[in-house]
Amino acid sequence: MNTLTDINSSQIIELIKNNDERVLKLLYQSNFHKVEAFVLKNSGTKEHAKDVYQEAFITVWNNVKTNKFTPQNNHSLNGYLYTISKNKWMDHLRSKHYKKTVVASKLNHFEISNKETQESHDDILKENRLQGVMQAFKDLGLPCKDLLTKFYFEKKSMNTIAEELQLDAASTRNKKYRCMQKLRELALKKK
Amino acid sequence: MNPNYNITQEELEYIERYINNNMTPDELVGFEEKLNNNPNFKNQVEDIKTLLLGIETQALTEKIETFHNELPDTKSPKEQPSKVRHLDFRKWVAAAAVIIAVGSFWFFNGNSNSKLYSKYYAPDPGLPTTMSTQDNFVFYDAMVNYKRQDYQLAINKWQPLLTNKPENDTLNYFMGSAYLAQGETTTAISYLEKVTELKESAFKNDAFYYLGLAYLKNNKIELAKETLKQSNMDDSKAILSELED
Repeated sequence: MNTLTDINSSQIIELIKNNDERVLKLLYQSNFHKVEAFVLKNSGTKEHAKDVYQEAFITVWNNVKTNKFTPQNNHSLNGYLYTISKNKWMDHLRSKHYKKTVVASKLNHFEISNKETQESHDDILKENRLQGVMQAFKDLGLPCKDLLTKFYFEKKSMNTIAEELQLDAASTRNKKYRCMQKLRELALKKK
Repeated sequence: MNPNYNITQEELEYIERYINNNMTPDELVGFEEKLNNNPNFKNQVEDIKTLLLGIETQALTEKIETFHNELPDTKSPKEQPSKVRHLDFRKWVAAAAVIIAVGSFWFFNGNSNSKLYSKYYAPDPGLPTTMSTQDNFVFYDAMVNYKRQDYQLAINKWQPLLTNKPENDTLNYFMGSAYLAQGETTTAISYLEKVTELKESAFKNDAFYYLGLAYLKNNKIELAKETLKQSNMDDSKAILSELED
């Protein structure tokens, strides 16, 4: 049962890039249980399944957004999400932390490619910066968070947002700028 | 993040236009020249990119948490055996209570009608879910819930659609099916009756069958017989012959 099958693939890429809530939700909800079943079958818990799946979901979203992955159809998108989740879980099982606590023979046999785990120093630095911004955004005051979410996540137009806030466009722009300043400051402090 | 610079509103919007591909070709040429010749500017652009990505990623992270909490509760996959031991004792008590309640209902009721009902009743499997048009989106979204046996959620989503299209046979039929599956037989009857009263509907035959079953469950035997006679499904005939015995 696949509720995404009838949207064509170029449409779906656009919708994902625009963070269309219905499509993201469908994508999220229609694939979770498959991943959950896999993790549970391979020494994981429901909590593990959720964590690994959410991480994979963000990765898929990011790769679609940056054109690193262009789904040919929605089956390939679902398959991709599943594969990434699976690989992430396998990486976790093979990580040192896990090996300390679990006998390797308990693991089912599996094969995955390990290329993506070889991160360069630059990538790690970038990732740290990103994490800093995310944390800062999480802690940002609600009015700013709300405004910036409308702009950058929901991708609403300046005019729409101004209307929602009952402000004129110039004050909205300025408000957005000040919120961005606040976010930058917060992100800097994190480091 | 590089703390050694400040950025003005104009600069920020200038860089954002570039990141979002909103520049005119002329503006783009100037921008890229600056990008190539000025390493500081390049860093600044990278920082803003990170900032925007961070906002989006964090917003998405929070969003999917709500998606997760709204996951329709399907039969969840098997947990590992070791997990079972941790199952709350109260759950077993609750399960036992349900079994006893259902059992004693049958026992005290001594009612062959409800036995007959449960012998024949299986929820309508629902329609294949697609997402062809925007109009139908809510309908099929709810159908997913219906198929996952989350009947109340499906009902909540279909209800508003029905106010716009009170005569829609598909909606009435599945509202009826969902209520029936939930055990709210009387409510189910009102929806199913509506479908059977329509002049023409692809669901008419099935509606008669389920309506008959619903009457049966409510102990309205004569009505049940009348209704089942109007459905040409094999099961209808089978129930009828059992009722005659």
